[in-house]
Amino acid sequence: MTDFDSDKVSKIHSHLHSHLPSESALRVKALESLLVDKGLVESATIDAWVEAYSEEVGPKRGAHIVAKAWTDSEFKSRLMQDAVAAIDELGYLGKATAHLKVVENTDQIHNLVVCTLCSCYPFSILGIAPNWYKTAAYRSRAVRDPRGVLKEFDVKLDDDIEVRVWDSTAELRYLVLPQRPEATQGLSEDELAALVTRNSMIGTDRVLSASSGGAS
Amino acid sequence: MDGVHDLGGRQGFGQIDVNETEVPFHADWEGRIWSIVQCVRSSDWTLDWWRHVRELIDPIDYLARPYFDSWAQTHIAALIDSGTFTLEEIIAGKSATVPVDQNSARTINDIFGDIEAQAYRFDREIDAQPAYQAGDGIFTKQLLPGHHTRLPAYARGKPGVIHAHHGAHVFADASAQGSEEAQHIYSVVFEARDLWPEAQNKKDRVFLDLWESYLDPA
Repeated sequence: MTDFDSDKVSKIHSHLHSHLPSESALRVKALESLLVDKGLVESATIDAWVEAYSEEVGPKRGAHIVAKAWTDSEFKSRLMQDAVAAIDELGYLGKATAHLKVVENTDQIHNLVVCTLCSCYPFSILGIAPNWYKTAAYRSRAVRDPRGVLKEFDVKLDDDIEVRVWDSTAELRYLVLPQRPEATQGLSEDELAALVTRNSMIGTDRVLSASSGGAS
Repeated sequence: MDGVHDLGGRQGFGQIDVNETEVPFHADWEGRIWSIVQCVRSSDWTLDWWRHVRELIDPIDYLARPYFDSWAQTHIAALIDSGTFTLEEIIAGKSATVPVDQNSARTINDIFGDIEAQAYRFDREIDAQPAYQAGDGIFTKQLLPGHHTRLPAYARGKPGVIHAHHGAHVFADASAQGSEEAQHIYSVVFEARDLWPEAQNKKDRVFLDLWESYLDPA
């Protein structure tokens, strides 16, 4: 039974610090071996989870949502009104997206998403978060120096564009809807999806190119 | 808890690695621990308790060790705490008990269903009416509980405006202590100039999702 006792857990952490191997790979191997040995999981199940997030559950889902919003105005209005129902239409509702909100970039507004307290992210539509999203550098600076952060990502913003930073402090999650690139009138939904970068859906990319992309 | 995890606005952490290769996992062990956390847990945990266990990692380890390493340590600590296995067993990497009956391994199609089933909802019906509506001015509380909270240090004691009301959600501070209670929750918008002494741009704003008990009327 879990005691919800902070002091008890601090002591456990202290023991682990002293007794676990220093190398992360060995720590994880010890955990997997023990769980398999106890019959709590099979290694093939873990393989399947890795495969799911490596092959299918990733930013290409987010890119599909964005491209559909660009090409289907009724879908877009549903997405802005009730993002959860809209992504459920595409079969993408899942881990950490039951309280999803979509925030739209415009000529006047740029949105940027962060989780300063941990690493909250809309996993079922963007997959595993990039490492930089989880670093102290990004988490500390995104709320205080968003323009400096964006400059590092080579996003240049005029002073008259409003920057909106969304700090994911509760169970709501945010997807940035980037602006459709210019000169893409004739492109299909699939071709447009290929232009959407992962970073543009977090807000660390802004002006998408009509000829290159995109989320893998 | 005023811990090292509460990073918003801290300075001195340097530049961001903007050239990171875009792959889900940068090493095999990262994918293994991500996946273990998805499929092995103790039934009496809450998500907020797990987050709190991560916050309790030694501050130097928290900042210096790799991100997914902190997941391994959090998961190991929480599983020991819940009695799933012992410290001695994890050090040995071997079970001291007879294995439980195993289900057969799950296929990738099973996993897609599992990911869909992880669309956990945190909204609840409550009797209390919301104290605020969009447009209302608020001040965030200065009060800092010694345990898990989702009101970051940088946004305490600050003036803000209710941007949107989202109904009532399970309150993280209580959930991290094992009890479920729901409160109204709001997106609150803060002017960057009210948060940071050096902020210049009048247009920049920061939005946080905050429970009602974090707020006082302006």
